[in-house]
Amino acid sequence: MDGGADPFERLKNLPARGHHAMLGIYKVTDGADWVELASPFSPDFFIDAERELVSSGPIVSLIDAAAGAAIIARTRQWRPMATLDLRVDYLRGAKAGRALHARATCYHLTSKVAFTRCDVHDGDPADPIAFATASFFFTADP
Amino acid sequence: MIETTPYGRMLGIRKIETAQGTSALMLPAAPELEGRQGFLYGGVIASLLELACLAALSRELGDIQRRPKPINLSLDFLRGGLMVDTFAEARIIRLGKRVANADAICWQADREKPIASGRVHLLLD
Repeated sequence: MDGGADPFERLKNLPARGHHAMLGIYKVTDGADWVELASPFSPDFFIDAERELVSSGPIVSLIDAAAGAAIIARTRQWRPMATLDLRVDYLRGAKAGRALHARATCYHLTSKVAFTRCDVHDGDPADPIAFATASFFFTADP
Repeated sequence: MIETTPYGRMLGIRKIETAQGTSALMLPAAPELEGRQGFLYGGVIASLLELACLAALSRELGDIQRRPKPINLSLDFLRGGLMVDTFAEARIIRLGKRVANADAICWQADREKPIASGRVHLLLD
């Protein structure tokens, strides 16, 4: 299969656009119900350049991207969906100069709602920087 | 001061005064902020809400040297955000010695029809 028919394979090969492109988001690896995305460090991510504090903004955007992609990995369908809610625990500050990685899993799926969780780190999965859960609802039938 | 930080500048955030005389953040629509076609990216909405909470806390503290850090964030998306100017305003619900609790709403053309709302806990150093 050349991947052209599978929506998830198609998603992986699409060039980044919009805010994904602004953050440089790219795919690292994926599985049957999960995706790991990353965003290279940029000095634009600082909320305080002098103290080298990385804003939580790029982290939450990367979580949103990974969670949405994990749902497509699991459903293998392009279904229009909207984020219902998002909860993030910031476990520690991200270190300057390190790429952000978010691994999201779609851990449950109903006909109308998808539930995801997401681990974020900046190089070492054993030393996470954030944990998130997000739910999405499908805005159209498959 | 959020608008002068590198991340605030990257998004293009501005500080505005609302008709009620309160302070809010405004994010002009830009192609780099788009998610699915025709809609503002959800992560950008979340970021704007968080930054509004940080700005509200900085005002309350009155000390620009302090940089509170988010502990967690819980937010609800209420409507799809369109590619138009977006606003967020936060209030500090409780300011403790170590932790502050803030809530925020985000709207576009009509403040009475918010597109997102959320709460943030912030750690005071």
